[in-house]
Amino acid sequence: MIKMTADSNLAAWLKDKSGMPAPESLTDALDALYAAGPGERATAQAKEKARRALLKYSAGTVYYDVLPRTPVGPVYVATSARGVIAVSFGPTERAFLDRVRKETGALARRAPKENASAIRQMREYLAGKRAAFDLPLDLNQLTEFRRRVLMAALKIPRGQVATYAEIARRIGQPKAARAVGQALGSNPIPIVIPCHRVLASDGSLGGYSGGKGVKTKVRLLKLEGAL
Amino acid sequence: MTLKPAFESLVDAHGAELFAYLWRMTRDAPDAEDCLQETYLRAYRAYPRLDSTANCRAWLYKIATNTARTHLKRRGRTQARTADLDPDLTRGGDPIPENVERRQSLAAVARVVESLPYQQRAALILRKYQELSYSAIAAALDCTEAAARANVYQALRKLREELKLARSANDQNDRR
Repeated sequence: MIKMTADSNLAAWLKDKSGMPAPESLTDALDALYAAGPGERATAQAKEKARRALLKYSAGTVYYDVLPRTPVGPVYVATSARGVIAVSFGPTERAFLDRVRKETGALARRAPKENASAIRQMREYLAGKRAAFDLPLDLNQLTEFRRRVLMAALKIPRGQVATYAEIARRIGQPKAARAVGQALGSNPIPIVIPCHRVLASDGSLGGYSGGKGVKTKVRLLKLEGAL
Repeated sequence: MTLKPAFESLVDAHGAELFAYLWRMTRDAPDAEDCLQETYLRAYRAYPRLDSTANCRAWLYKIATNTARTHLKRRGRTQARTADLDPDLTRGGDPIPENVERRQSLAAVARVVESLPYQQRAALILRKYQELSYSAIAAALDCTEAAARANVYQALRKLREELKLARSANDQNDRR
């Protein structure tokens, strides 16, 4: 076993100016365990993996625009190079930009051109002239589970509703109704991804975090003729 | 006004040392790999809020420390994996009794290190193997410099005590 008799200077080991003496064999053992590190190949591989993950995750430049007057308040849309990455309605511009920055790491720039199609479709939808959106979406920053929940919600057509439990079944995790509720509650692209079409299993409305909460949910469902 | 470096450059600048740190904290290469990725993703999200005068390196260490803590908690009671204890020992063919004994000793030390309070273990490794200054350790562990110093010394004091106990228990077993 480690012999604890011989003393060396711990302070020197720690490169401290003052300290206490430590048994030589303890510091030896620690060095044997930790000094060498993981090795060059493993390090290169780990760095490459981190770099790739970042690349996949990073939204790059994000552009936003606003539809100032709608029945649910001003609607903000942000788009990355991959597609629509965030929608908010009701907040101030500042609050929306803070949210985008928090979720994507990007400081969004106002650019109507990059959001023209999303804004046009949103206007048509809110005027009752559009049933479904046809837009690329950027869900890269979400976990696999959240992505699957949102993709399932995306498939509910206008005028219809589903329950949290149904969505949980559709993604093959029938016991995850509560987690489904959470994933829908933090839907980064509301309206376009119609989380408002998902209700509680007892037929009550469940929650809604966009705009004015459940009131807005009712409003959207009425607009779609589902209520 | 100082400009913060482009985030991507932080992988090249600090990736290797952070990986080594995470490897030392998790003692498992795949775990450390996952933690490194998670550390950079967390850092990426938080980067816009980082003060331009802040110490980037210490800030990354702080995120790595928290990431590893979460990871280890999750790994939790599922048996702690242990990296090859001492590659030198496995290289030379037949195990020599002395080497076996040495490996057992190292395993014992590793176990005791892993049983230290997380802050103390992190402080010890940050000081001795990552060679951070106490002020950087304080920033990484979100404590004062004095506390950082105390954590390092507490870790070593406990290691010595625990290993003494382990040794005397062993001696008694040998006598039986």
